[in-house]
Amino acid sequence: MFRFPLVLFFSAYILSNAKLKLSSKIDFNREIRPILSEHCFACHGLDDPQGGLRLDFSEFAYKGGKSGFPAIVPGDLEESEIIQRVVSTDMDERMPPKGDALKPDQIEILRNWITFGAEYSIHWAYVVPERPQLPKVNSKRFVQTPIDTFILSKLEEKGWRPSKAEKKEKWIRRVSLGLTGLPPSLVEYENFMQDDSPLAKERVVDRLLASPRYGEHWARQWLDLARYADSNGFQADQLRDSWAFRDWVINAINLDMPFDQFTIEQIAGDLLPNATIEQKIATGFHRTPPCNVEAGVHPEANRVNQVMDRVNATGTTWLGSTMECAQCHSHKYDPFSQEEYFQMFAFFNNTPLEVENKSGKGVSFNFWGPKMELPLSPEKQEQLDSLNAELKVAKEELATLQKEADGMYREWRQQKLTVNHFKESEWEVLTPTKALSNSGETLRTLKDGSLLAEGESGNKSTYQIEVSIPAGTWKSFQMETLLHKSMKQNGPGRNTTNANPNFVLTELIVTVEGSSKPLGFGRVIADFNQAGFLAKHLFDGNLDSRNGWAISPEFGKSHWIHAEFAVPLTLGQDFKLKIEMKHLYGGGRNVGRPRFSISSDRIKKSVADNKRLLELVAKEKRNGKEEKELRSIFDNENSKLLAHRKKVEDLDKAFKEVTPATTLVMVEMDEKRDTHVMARGNYLSPEQKVEVGVPQVLNDWNPEWPKNRLGLAKWLVDRENPLTARVIVNRWWGQFFGAGIVSTEEDFGSQSEPSTHPELLDWLAVEFMDKGWSMKHIHKLITLSGTYGQSSRVSTAMLERDANNRFFLRGPRFRMTAEMIRDNGLQVAGLLSKKMGGPPIYPPQPDGLWRQTGRNEPKYTAAKTEDRFRRGIYVIWRRAAPYASFVNFDGPDRSACHPKRSRTNTPLQALTLLNDQAYVEMALGFAVSILEKTTGQSRTDRMVHAFRRALSRDPTPRETEILLALLQEQSDRLRSDGSLAKELVNQAPAIIISAKLNLNEVGAWFFVANALLNLDETITKG
Amino acid sequence: MNSHPVDQYLQQLTRRQLFQRVGLGIGGFALADLLQKDLPAAPRNPFAHFAPKAKNVIYFHLVGAPSHLDLFDYKPELQKRNGELCPKEMFEGKQLAFIRSRPTLLGTSKESKFEFKQCGKSGIRISNLLPNLQTVADDMCFIRTLHTEQFNHAPAQMFMQTGFERFGRPSLGAWTNYGIGSPNKDLPGFVVMVTGQYPGAGNSVFGSGFLPSVYQGIEFRGKGDPVLFLSNPKGVDATARRKVISAVNQLNEMQLDGVGDPEIATRISQYEMAYRMQTSVPELKDLSKESQPTLDAYGAKVGGSGFANNCLLARRMVERGVRFIQLFDQGWDHHGNVFNALPNKCKQVDQPIAALIKDLKDRGLLDETLVVWSAEFGRTPMAQGNNGSGEKTKAGRDHHKEAFTIWMAGGGTKPGHVHGRTDDLGYGIVDSPVHVHDFNATLLHLLGMDHERLTYRFQGRKFRLTDVHGHVVEDVLT
Repeated sequence: MFRFPLVLFFSAYILSNAKLKLSSKIDFNREIRPILSEHCFACHGLDDPQGGLRLDFSEFAYKGGKSGFPAIVPGDLEESEIIQRVVSTDMDERMPPKGDALKPDQIEILRNWITFGAEYSIHWAYVVPERPQLPKVNSKRFVQTPIDTFILSKLEEKGWRPSKAEKKEKWIRRVSLGLTGLPPSLVEYENFMQDDSPLAKERVVDRLLASPRYGEHWARQWLDLARYADSNGFQADQLRDSWAFRDWVINAINLDMPFDQFTIEQIAGDLLPNATIEQKIATGFHRTPPCNVEAGVHPEANRVNQVMDRVNATGTTWLGSTMECAQCHSHKYDPFSQEEYFQMFAFFNNTPLEVENKSGKGVSFNFWGPKMELPLSPEKQEQLDSLNAELKVAKEELATLQKEADGMYREWRQQKLTVNHFKESEWEVLTPTKALSNSGETLRTLKDGSLLAEGESGNKSTYQIEVSIPAGTWKSFQMETLLHKSMKQNGPGRNTTNANPNFVLTELIVTVEGSSKPLGFGRVIADFNQAGFLAKHLFDGNLDSRNGWAISPEFGKSHWIHAEFAVPLTLGQDFKLKIEMKHLYGGGRNVGRPRFSISSDRIKKSVADNKRLLELVAKEKRNGKEEKELRSIFDNENSKLLAHRKKVEDLDKAFKEVTPATTLVMVEMDEKRDTHVMARGNYLSPEQKVEVGVPQVLNDWNPEWPKNRLGLAKWLVDRENPLTARVIVNRWWGQFFGAGIVSTEEDFGSQSEPSTHPELLDWLAVEFMDKGWSMKHIHKLITLSGTYGQSSRVSTAMLERDANNRFFLRGPRFRMTAEMIRDNGLQVAGLLSKKMGGPPIYPPQPDGLWRQTGRNEPKYTAAKTEDRFRRGIYVIWRRAAPYASFVNFDGPDRSACHPKRSRTNTPLQALTLLNDQAYVEMALGFAVSILEKTTGQSRTDRMVHAFRRALSRDPTPRETEILLALLQEQSDRLRSDGSLAKELVNQAPAIIISAKLNLNEVGAWFFVANALLNLDETITKG
Repeated sequence: MNSHPVDQYLQQLTRRQLFQRVGLGIGGFALADLLQKDLPAAPRNPFAHFAPKAKNVIYFHLVGAPSHLDLFDYKPELQKRNGELCPKEMFEGKQLAFIRSRPTLLGTSKESKFEFKQCGKSGIRISNLLPNLQTVADDMCFIRTLHTEQFNHAPAQMFMQTGFERFGRPSLGAWTNYGIGSPNKDLPGFVVMVTGQYPGAGNSVFGSGFLPSVYQGIEFRGKGDPVLFLSNPKGVDATARRKVISAVNQLNEMQLDGVGDPEIATRISQYEMAYRMQTSVPELKDLSKESQPTLDAYGAKVGGSGFANNCLLARRMVERGVRFIQLFDQGWDHHGNVFNALPNKCKQVDQPIAALIKDLKDRGLLDETLVVWSAEFGRTPMAQGNNGSGEKTKAGRDHHKEAFTIWMAGGGTKPGHVHGRTDDLGYGIVDSPVHVHDFNATLLHLLGMDHERLTYRFQGRKFRLTDVHGHVVEDVLT
C-alpha cells in the first residue's frame, strides 16, 4: 500500500482553525469524507472495489477503475464521472445503485470541492497531533485552565455564553465523584465549604488525586476495556484467578504510572529485560479473553478466537479502531487490510494453547494456560517452608505407620473371625467403689463389675455411684444394661407398674471426683432406642422425666450406650468418677444391672457395623469395594494411624492456605508459530503467510524495535502514533463529561462522529504525551477547568441550542455507573469498607442466579465480613451471570472489550434501588447511622445531616417537609404494629443496631433513607 | 405542566431528534411513553418496515439440541444401515465435537414408541415420542434443512440467537425489542423463562450486546421473585412503598424544576412503572383464574413452576402484549443413551407445547403469534459411543451442524408444511438449505422488519442481526 507523505497535508485542526470561510477551502475530512464514507466506500474502498474503482485516496479516484475513465478530475466537473453518476436519474447509471440518492446539498458540496481542486486529505485521526496555539478569547473570567480557551472560543464564535460557576457544594460532589467515584465525606464537605482561599479547589483536587480511592474508581473503565472478569465465560463458566491484574491496574493508576509504561507492561511486560513480577502480572491484560472448555471444543479454534480477541481489544483500547472488520475481509471504511489484520495477529500468535485435556482421553477440557504464583511476604514464605518440611516428615511417618498396619491386617482379620471380642476387648470395665440409691433398693457389685439392684424398685430412683478410673487418655464411655434372672423376662428394667421390664433413664451425669462440672459428651449411640426415648437425651441436661432413654419392646436383651467425651479425658493415677443415674419417669422403671466401662478409642461401631464387619471378614472373596470397606474398618480401629492421617490432612490444609495465589500471565513460546491470512477469518482456511507488522496508514515501525509484542507496545505509545493519546484522553473526557470530544469514543475511523473541538483534543493529546503521559496531570486540568465547573442547570434555550451539550454550554450531569451507585450508597450509609485488593468479594444477591450448565458449578455465598461492603471494583465478575444489580445499571458481562457503557433509565433500576437486599442494608445502615450521629437533635436537624451525607447539600424547607411527612407516617404505622419494625430490621442482620436505639425510630428513618438513596440526584453526578 | 421548559421543549422536538437525543438515555418503556404523550402523530416504531404477520413470538430453544432424526426427520435408510461404519465422507475432514474415530450409523430404535406416524391432513411424519404434537401437525411448518456454522454448544447458541459465535452481539429478542418495541408498558417487551440450568453461553443468548441494555431479555423466574427485586422487603407493604415512591417523585419533580434535565422526567416515569409492575407481574403469574380444563391441558399448576407453567404464562404474556417470549429448556444433549433419555425429555415438553398451540388457536391468537421450536444445532446420524472422558457409554448422537430440523407454527407461517429435504442418511442437505442467518431474516420478516434495514451503529459500523448475509425463506410464508 502506498503512503502519503504527511507533510503535504494540512492536519484537520489547522484547516478548521484557519477561519477561512471561502468556498474554495473545503475541508475534505469534515465535509467530503463523510459523504464518500456513507455512500461510496462500502463498494469503492479497500475491500474488493467494484469495477476496480477506489474513491478513498486521490490517486485511485483520479485514475479511475477498469472503465479507464477517471472518477474525479480536479477542477473539471464535466470530466468527473462521479458527478455524472450521482445526478443521474437512470437507475442503471446512478450511484449509489441502491438506497436513496445523494441529497442536493451534498451534490453541491461535491461539485464545489471538485471545482476547487478536489484536494484529498488524510483522515484527521491518522495525522500525528501537534500542539495548537491556544485560541484568543474575550472573557477571561471563565478561563481556569487552557482547556477553557478552546471551549470558550467556540462559544464566542457562536455568540453564546457559558453557564455561571456551579455552586460550591455541587462542585465538590461532582469532582469527588468524578475523580474517586465517591461523594465527599461530611468532613471533607464542611472543610471545603469553609475554605475561601483561591486555592481551595486545587487543594480538593490534589487530595482526591492522591487518594487510593482514585485508582479504584478509574480502574473500572480500564477493566471494561481489558474485559477483566473472574471466570472463563461460556459453558461451565468456571472461576479463575487473575485478580492480581485488577490490583495491578488500581495500583498503577494510583501511582500515576506514565501511560506509555502502563501500556508496555500490559502488552509485553514479560518481554522486558529482567521483567519484574509486577511487570508479568501486568500482562494479565491479554489473559482475560473468554475460554470455552465445554467438552468437544477444538483447542485450536479456541486459541485462534482468543488471539483475535487480543488483536481486537488492542485495536479498540489503544487505537479506537475496529480492527475486527478486517478479520474476514479488508475494512470497508478504514484503511486496514485483511493482510494487516493478520500482521497484527502475528504479534499475539506465540502463546500456548489455553485448554488442556488432562486425562489425555476423550474430549473433556480444562482451562489451562500460563499462570504465575504471586510472591509471598518473607514471613509467609518462612511459614510455607516450615509447613512444607513438617508435611514431608509427617508424610514419611504416615507411610511407615501404613506399612506397619499392612503387616497386621491379615492377623486382624483372622482374629475378628475367631474371637467375638467386639465389646469386651475394647472396653475397660470400671469397678464401682461405692453405690447408693435414694429410694430404698440396694446396689450390689458383681464379679463382672456390674451393679445389681435388689429389693423393691423405688418409684423414681436416683443411683449415686463411684468408680475408680485407671490413668490414661480416655475417649469414650459405655453403660451397659445387663440381664439378670431376678428381673421379669430377665430385665433389663425393673418396671413395677406393668408386665414389661422396661426402664426409663432420664439423665446420666458423669463427673470427675473433685470437679464441680459434669463431663460433656459428643456423639452418643445406643444399640437400640425406643421411639422418642433416645440415648442422646441422657446427657442433655434436660430433667423432664420423659426426656430419657428406654428400650421397649426389646426386652430380655442386654443393651448399651456409647458416648464420646467432648474432650478426651486425660487422668493420672487414683482418679474416681461419680456417676449419677436419674430415673425420673416413675413406676419403678429403673435400670436393673448397669455396668460402666471406658475406652481410649473413639466410638466407631454400632451393632449394624459389627454385623457388617463379620460379614466382610467371613467372605472368602471380597470385591474391590468390599475390601476397601473392610480395610477402612481396620484402619479406623488404629487410632495412631488415624491421628497421623489427620495430622497430614491438617498440615496439607495449612500449607494450601499459605500457598501463593496465582495469576494469569502472557508467556511467549520458544518456537514461534507461522501466521497466515485466514480466508473469511476461518482458521481452517489458511492463505498466504505474513510476518508481524502494523497498519501502513499509521506511524512507521522503528527498525530498532524487536519484532514482537514489546515492539508493538512501543509502537502504540510512540510519539508519532496519531491515535493512542487522542483515544485515551478522549475516553477520559467522556467519563468526566458524559461523552467524548469525539462522541464515538470507541471509533476514530472515517465513520466516527466528527469532533466538535479537534484542536482541544489535539492539545490534550500532546499535553498528555509531553507531560510524561501523566493521567493525573490531564485529570487535574480537566477537573479544575471552568468548563467542568459550570452549573449543570439546563434551560429550554440550551436544549434548543445544543441538546446534547456538545459545545459545553453547561456542566456535566448524568447517571453514575453501576459500581458508583453502589459505592456511593455504601459511603452515604457509612458502611463502605476501605479494604483494598485480593480475591473477589461476594456481596448479597438473590439466590438462584448461579446455575450454569457444566461441571463444578461454583457456589455464591454472600460475605458476612467487611467484604460484604467493599467497593464494586472488587465484586466477583462471573461472565455468565454478573452481579445482578450491576447488570440492571448497564454493567457489561465483560466477555469482550467494552469501550462504552450505555446509560439507560428503567423501572428495573427503580426496583433494584428500592428492594435489592444490598440496598435495603444500605438504607437501614444509613438510618442507624443518622440516628447515632445526631443523638438528641431535632428531626429537622437530622434531615439536614442526612441530606448533607446523601447529596452534599442542605434540604429546602419543602424537601424537609415532604420527608418529615413520610417519617411521621411510617413512624405511626410502625408503632401501630410492634412486630413490623422487627421484621424490617431482622432481614438485614448484617446491619448492627445498638440496643440504645428505638427500633420503631430506626424503622421510620429506614424509609427516609430508602427515599434518599432512590433520588435521581443521588445516583447522578451533576 | 405546559409551562414547564422541558415539556415545551419536548413538544417542539421532532420525533427523530428526540430519539437520537435520548436513545441511550431513556428506556424503551419511557420512550414510548413520551412519544405517545407528546407526539401522538409520530409513527411508533422506527423499524416497522412493513405490516407484520406476527405480533408476538414464543420461541422455544431446546438447549443442548434434541435429536431431530428421532423426532422429525424420518430416515428409514438409516435404520436399515444401523451399525454399519458410516461413509468416509461423513467423517473425514468434518468438524465433530466428540467423535474422534470413524463411527457407525445409528438408526432410530425400532421399538414402537419410536415409530413415526403420518399426521393429520398434511401427512407430516412425527415420532410417537411426541403424541400431542402429532395432533397439531397441520398447524406446524417444518424446516428440515437448517444448518449452522458452530458445533460446540455455547458458540452455537450465540450464533443461533445473536448471529455471531462470540460474545458481544444483541440477541434476536433484543433486536426485536429495539426494532418494534412492545405495546405493554407495564411489562418488559422481551421476557425469558429458563427451566433447568442456564444455557452454556449464559445471559448472552438473551442479552442486548452493544444495544442499550434496556432491550435485553428480562428473566421471569420460577422461584423467588419472578422479576429480580420485584417484591418489597419485609415490613414494607404496598402502601408504604407507594408513600416512598411518592416522596421520591415529589423530590425528583422539584429537582426537575430546578435543574431542567429531561432525564429526571424519565426517572419519575420509571418509578411509576416500577410500582405498576409490582402489581402487573404477580397478576400475570397468578394462574388461579385459569379454568381447570386449561390447567389440565397444559399440565400446569396454580402456584407451581416449571415448563408447563411457563407455557401457560407465555400465552398470558401474549394476551398482555409482551412482544418476545423465549423459553430455554435444558437437558437435550444426548451424547449417550439417547433412546432412554430422549423419551423422558419429550414427555416433559410435548403436552404443554401442543396445549399452547391449541390454546392460542382457540383464542384466535395463533394467527398473530409465531411459535418457534429451535435449538443450537442438530444431532449426528452417526453413533457416539464414548463420553467426554473417553469412557464407553450406550449409544447417543454427537453435535451436528450440517442439517437439522426446526419448526414454527402460526404467525404467518404455512401450516402443515415442510421445507427442504435432507439425504437418506440425514447427514446433509439435498434441497433448499436454510442458513441460521436466513432463518433469523425470516423471523424478522414475519415481525414486519427488513433484516437488512434493522441496524444499529456501533464502533463506526452499522450492525445487523444477519451481518451481511441472510435471505428470507419465502417458501415458509403464507
